[in-house]
Amino acid sequence: MAAPTATVPSASVPSGTVPVRRTSARRRRTGLAAWGFALPFTVLFAVFMLVPVASSLYMAFTDMHGADLRTPLAVNFVGFDNFVEVLADPKFQQAAGNTLYFVGVAMPLTLAMALLLAVLLNSGLAWFRSVFRVGFYAPVVTSIVAVAVVWRFLLQPDFGLVNSLLGVIGIEGPRWLTDPVWAMPSLIMMATWRNVGYSMVILLAGLQGIPRDLYEASAIDGAGAVRQFRSITVPLLRPTLLFCAVITGIGYLQFFEEPFVMTQGGPLGATNSVAYEIFNQFGFGNYGLSAAMSYVLFIAIVILSYLQFRLLRTEK
Amino acid sequence: MNRTPRLAAAATASTLTLALALTGCGRSDEAGTTADSSSTISEGPATGTVEVWAMGTEGELLPELAEQFEADNPDVTVNVTPVPWESSTEKINTAIATGEVPDVMQVGTTLMSGFVGLDGLAATPEDIDSAAFFPGAWDTTVVDGTSYGVPWYVETRVLYYRTDLAEEAGLEAPETWADLTAFAAGLQDAGADHGIALQTRGNSTALMYFPFYWQAGGEILDDAGEFTLDNEAQVKALEYYSSFMRDGLAPQVLVEDEKVQNFVDGKLGSFVSGPWERANLLTTAGDDFADKFGVVPLPADETTASFIGGSNLAVLADAANPDSAWKFVQFATDPATQVGWFGISNDLPAVQASWDDPALADDDAVAVYQDVLETARSTPAIPTWSEIEHEIDLIIEQVIAGDLSPEDAAAQMQEAATSIGTGLD
Repeated sequence: MAAPTATVPSASVPSGTVPVRRTSARRRRTGLAAWGFALPFTVLFAVFMLVPVASSLYMAFTDMHGADLRTPLAVNFVGFDNFVEVLADPKFQQAAGNTLYFVGVAMPLTLAMALLLAVLLNSGLAWFRSVFRVGFYAPVVTSIVAVAVVWRFLLQPDFGLVNSLLGVIGIEGPRWLTDPVWAMPSLIMMATWRNVGYSMVILLAGLQGIPRDLYEASAIDGAGAVRQFRSITVPLLRPTLLFCAVITGIGYLQFFEEPFVMTQGGPLGATNSVAYEIFNQFGFGNYGLSAAMSYVLFIAIVILSYLQFRLLRTEK
Repeated sequence: MNRTPRLAAAATASTLTLALALTGCGRSDEAGTTADSSSTISEGPATGTVEVWAMGTEGELLPELAEQFEADNPDVTVNVTPVPWESSTEKINTAIATGEVPDVMQVGTTLMSGFVGLDGLAATPEDIDSAAFFPGAWDTTVVDGTSYGVPWYVETRVLYYRTDLAEEAGLEAPETWADLTAFAAGLQDAGADHGIALQTRGNSTALMYFPFYWQAGGEILDDAGEFTLDNEAQVKALEYYSSFMRDGLAPQVLVEDEKVQNFVDGKLGSFVSGPWERANLLTTAGDDFADKFGVVPLPADETTASFIGGSNLAVLADAANPDSAWKFVQFATDPATQVGWFGISNDLPAVQASWDDPALADDDAVAVYQDVLETARSTPAIPTWSEIEHEIDLIIEQVIAGDLSPEDAAAQMQEAATSIGTGLD
């Protein structure tokens, strides 16, 4: 077999004559190959992630409207005007307050419920573990539209299951979805129910990673169940808890589907969330304004995630 | 590690794009391109391919109509693409922005201004006679003085009521505002939990409310195109509309899903809705139920008015085959075709002459709509209307909840509308 000549020049160079150039050529080739392998991802990432991110940032600083869709560059640069307008808008403030309320209650509730269920499933009920795991995970993978229909029935004031049960013990239940005070708690209940399975499954996996002998050793030292939970389970579960908290927090700050299908943001704006307001403003064609809102939400997500990392990071 | 420089490179690249984008920006001084002066439709049969987008039920049934058009014009092929209503606005916006458009498109009457704002629709040729249509329907095609489409089918709001309960209470169908209040109270005395149901919150609350405002003599825009929402008529109409909820004649919060069932069960005496509700009622309660309810126009105050909706047919500005597209539109809005289409789809004709046809005139359940349509009106065809309507929905909800007085509400509507603006230059 004749050695190739022109096509692969580095191979035709006799060995030992110019070692330096040869290595650099090889390195360049490896570099090219690496780029070749990385190219599909890089191109996809640039086209579908970087460009939209850059253009939405651009949008946030312009007065772009629906009518500018054909000429997106022929718009005025307005600096921080959109952000000022967003922050001064009472509807946005109400939506931000609602979102904080939702995250502040629903996130700890979801995590606490998930942890409780995971511990229960981990300690006993070994036979039914898969059944429960499926049961609690089912809402996570069920379509929100189907869930909404069922929940509307459950929460129906006159003959719904929730108020019928309350009626049995002599409590007249509120008009859950149409009372400004109760609408948000209803959605918090529903969101917790929908999302608890996800964190539970992750936490259960985390729990199963904690060595049994730690519990045995501590039991010999006389530690009770509560002490074991506080001194072994929680510290060793910290990274898992952090993961669940961050994922749940990010999801909850973008609270949208529940008000969208259940309340349309009402009554009296009580369940309007930031993400819903962004959706509305996009619908009205206020692209600049809603892009600015999106970045406000983005910053809130960054801050929340940062706080969670500070609070839950494992001590070195 | 290679990561940092690569990220930096990416960041530089995106900053560059951004910088390029920014230098290229700035609105041109010209106001939006004005519509081309209306052209005319040529003589002779249609040729080539006509791409049509239609939504919902119309999208499913339109091929039947298209076949008739193809039979009349042997050299033409009509391709109908059904588009779901939910995704229609995005889909059409994208199509207009990229220029990959159909020739003809069904456009909901309240969506016209948005597509015109994108310069997506062609002006209506002079050959189409505006006087043939219900005036309220024709108005929905006109954006800033120019018509961009032709009314195809219409719908309007009427009062559905339980005839058996009304008979029991010895009541005649209401003709004035005072009648309607007494009517609702009477139906309630005859056994209904609520005499009437009116939308209390959520999307389109304004569409149920505005007929009352128009009846009280109110106008949304004056002749100069300025908002005129803060006035006596507004206060009067808000006071009247909310009085039903306040006095317990209507549910304080209406749950839309329960309305039909409650009406069938006799728990609800009457409600306001459009022509499609008849089919809903008959599917829920069976065909025998047709004897138990009646349909009458909304009551009048200073004047009669209802809301007119439906869809228009529009030809796209970038249409590949505009001449044949207009011929298709002309065909679809011909009085005879409209009667045929009513038979296919139950859509009410937008052409007034079609209503003389026995298919419509002899059907009492349908004929009642004719008078209503003559004075029915639509909300303004301005690009910002959906946003203004959303604000008004929220304000009406607060009036019904008792959190806002009608006077303050009228002032807030005016303020919200003027701060959003008409969106026309």
